[in-house]
Amino acid sequence: MRFQFLSAFVIALWVCLAPPASQAASVEEITLYNKPDRQKVLVEGAKKEGKVSWYTSLIVDQVVRPVKDAFEKEYPFLQVEYFRGNSERLVQKMFAEYQGKRYEVDIVDGTVTAPMVKKGGYLQRFHSPSLSEYPAELKDPQGFWGVSNVYFFSLGYNTRMVKANELPKTYEDLLNPRWKGQMMWSTSRGSGAPIFTGTILNTMGPEAGKAYLQKLKAQNVAKTTASNRQVLDLTIAGEYPLALQIFNHHAYISKTAGAPVDWMPHEPVTATIQTIALAKNSPHPHAAMLFIDFAISEKGQRVFQQSNYLPSHPKVPAKQTDLKPGGGRFKRAFYINPDDQYDKGNEWVDYFNNVFVK
Amino acid sequence: MAKQPSSRAYDYQLKSGAAGALRSFFGPVIALRFDAPTVVMLAVSLITAYLVLPPLYSVIQTSLFTTKLTGEIDEFTFRYYQELIRELQVVGPFLNTIYFSAGSALFATLLGGSIAWLVTRTDTPLRGLGYFTAFASFGTPFILYTIGWLLLLGKAGPVNFWLKTVFDQPGPIINIYSLWGMIFIESLLWSPFVFLMLAAAFRSMDPSLEEASAVCGARVWQTMRRVSLRLMLPAFFSVVLLIFIRSFESFEIPALVGLPGDIRVLTTSIYLDAQKLPPRYGSAGAFSVLLMFVVAGTLYLYFRVTREGDRFHTITGKGYRPALIHLGRWRYLAGVALLVYALVLLVLPFLIILWASLLPFYMQPSIEALSRFTAKNYVTAIHFPKITDSIKNSILLGLGSASAVMALTLLASWLLVRTKMRGRWLLDLMTTLPLLFPGIVMGLAILRFYLFVPIPVYGTLWILLIAFVTRYIPYGIRYTHSGLLQLHKELEEAAYTAGATWSNCMRRIVLPLVTPSFLGGWAFIFLLSAKELSMSVLLVSPQTPVVSVAIFELWENAQVGELAAFGVIWTVILVSIAVIYYLFARRYGVQQS
Repeated sequence: MRFQFLSAFVIALWVCLAPPASQAASVEEITLYNKPDRQKVLVEGAKKEGKVSWYTSLIVDQVVRPVKDAFEKEYPFLQVEYFRGNSERLVQKMFAEYQGKRYEVDIVDGTVTAPMVKKGGYLQRFHSPSLSEYPAELKDPQGFWGVSNVYFFSLGYNTRMVKANELPKTYEDLLNPRWKGQMMWSTSRGSGAPIFTGTILNTMGPEAGKAYLQKLKAQNVAKTTASNRQVLDLTIAGEYPLALQIFNHHAYISKTAGAPVDWMPHEPVTATIQTIALAKNSPHPHAAMLFIDFAISEKGQRVFQQSNYLPSHPKVPAKQTDLKPGGGRFKRAFYINPDDQYDKGNEWVDYFNNVFVK
Repeated sequence: MAKQPSSRAYDYQLKSGAAGALRSFFGPVIALRFDAPTVVMLAVSLITAYLVLPPLYSVIQTSLFTTKLTGEIDEFTFRYYQELIRELQVVGPFLNTIYFSAGSALFATLLGGSIAWLVTRTDTPLRGLGYFTAFASFGTPFILYTIGWLLLLGKAGPVNFWLKTVFDQPGPIINIYSLWGMIFIESLLWSPFVFLMLAAAFRSMDPSLEEASAVCGARVWQTMRRVSLRLMLPAFFSVVLLIFIRSFESFEIPALVGLPGDIRVLTTSIYLDAQKLPPRYGSAGAFSVLLMFVVAGTLYLYFRVTREGDRFHTITGKGYRPALIHLGRWRYLAGVALLVYALVLLVLPFLIILWASLLPFYMQPSIEALSRFTAKNYVTAIHFPKITDSIKNSILLGLGSASAVMALTLLASWLLVRTKMRGRWLLDLMTTLPLLFPGIVMGLAILRFYLFVPIPVYGTLWILLIAFVTRYIPYGIRYTHSGLLQLHKELEEAAYTAGATWSNCMRRIVLPLVTPSFLGGWAFIFLLSAKELSMSVLLVSPQTPVVSVAIFELWENAQVGELAAFGVIWTVILVSIAVIYYLFARRYGVQQS
């Protein structure tokens, strides 16, 4: 660390003394640069870099490719290279590479990716003009990450098996004996039952929350390690009429295709966020900054919107507006802070295991 | 004692440098008894050690140390072992694990073995179907295969619907989310492996022993029980051991089939507990270290049993093509059994996957659903990013790892079976250990190793090849080991007497005679590596995509239909390769007809 500060200092000194034409700035200087000619400096630097490398947990076919295409159209001199994996794998790969002193990655994203890499000491703070347009819960106070898109959890149900008048409208309704053995959820840490457990404990308070979860245990919710997309598909197939803790846009997409399925928000709706961040020793820092700028700008957010993802930018609604809070179907969302998700996640997993597995 | 004359000759030759006549006389003997095997032993051991020891070190280290967030080693601890022991004391999951593994091993062996016997030793019609079914079903991506079965046998699936109608019951009749459901699917998954290995062993049976039994008045069944099956002991042991271990440590079936029905096994408990950040693999490491001791003990016993190797020689200097058993009227029943096997193992799951791939969302089979057929999922699958590269890479890796593993393990098995070198049990142990490494721990170990060692394979296909070869050595060794045990050494001795060099003898005697095992193992490893996931997700780079990772991505996020369409395409490609392979193999004797 000290060496890096020292070298940054030396470089800064050298930059001051040397003629402005030679742009040998450190990663930190580039990412925190905030003068009127920022865009020009970034573009010129990026032209020399030629590419940007993105480790992503987003789905390639659905959204990575559209974002890549739109960005490359905006900056034709840049190529986006991507590697896809889930949040934990991305982090493990990056950690291993950094320890082997291979600095290949510029951008990382994912639900708990940013807090993990930040704790590992391999993230770089950055400044981006659009950040000021975001509410406090959708950016890191220290400036280590922004948010590219958000996810909302809801109940999914098979419309042929669940009549309108018996549809569980609140968390309490799930305790109706009618639903014993009729529900399924995923055990996934990042998007399944542990998050549900955490939300209940957070929003109902520890005492009431624990009492609720004990009652839910008696409902024999079926567990699977499959993703919540698969859980929803099993609901569509008629295996379980109710799917707990699924993404509302998944239900919407299937419903549009004609599937007998719909989603029911339970207030406050749990939400997780997709963080986007910059690697400490980013080999293409100018291009990387342009990429982050683009991803969280209104223009970039529209690409997410058109890909049927839920944009994080407050001014960009979802393509199907009622999928976001204030769109008509639910008012309040409980955004789980990624640091919390990381720090408290283990407790939630333990609690879930103790109550529902053992 | 047997070595003495040759080593004396060797000394003698060294001392009297000019004894040209003597050298040419003893040369082949020396080559046989001393030089070639030693060199091969050294080379094989070094390669195996290079591949196996770094991950082994990593597994043991993982089980004994906590790690920092960034993956660096932190503190020494026995915690993971203590946790594991506590876990083992919980009777339920432990017993379930034993039932599940033993049940799967027995049922798969029974099923695959019966089919192998029908196909290789009897005059049952449709015998070619057995091979085709084995290859094709193993080509189906694993996850998809399981999902296919869940959709078929699930509460709302067609089988339960049909049974409900027939028996006029209100609720579902079959509960697939049960211990039996787990054993059923796991056994089906492993039966092609049993089939390929036992078919090779059955084919290499010495008919004279069976004939002798028949002459003495034994019935077909008695001959089977007291002669044929006993000769197959090494092969049986191999399949039972492998399937037992693999089921013991398997995760997918317990997680997808067992967990929804609240059937917990050790691996699901470990997995659910380990869902923490930073990721901890200590429990998984401790679990596999414990298994290593169990397997080392089993291998030791196996070694004792097969030490008297002569008893298992079925390929001798005499003709060895076993005679076909005429089943008479029963042959048609046997043919039907083959058809049913093909139907259950291959056709049904494939049909349901095909069905799912043609629908915009999953619907139970019905006339109504037919009107919704669409090619949309296929369009999505074909446009999947980097799909041609993925397919090319996966096939290249399959060819490479199957060939490398089989070549390496054939030599290793030859050393184990043929030589009396000291310490060769270590080689046997080393070649079996990778079976026990948890995929993710091994993937991380290889990732770290090549990021630190200055061998430039990181980010290329080579690192995947190294990982696959290491992972599949245990399968290669079991195929070639049981194949070689059947081969009497008199054939090789005859070759040496006739003046053949060691390599000549390997190439022209050993290799052709073990071809059935060799090709069976080759095909199996090819198909396995096409599906490998747990290491691939860590080792692929943006430039080296492979199919299994693409399937995994779809599995995590896509709808069943898209996953199914991708799976159908991949299955068709693998089956085409299997057909080409089958035609090729038939010429070289995997199947006789």
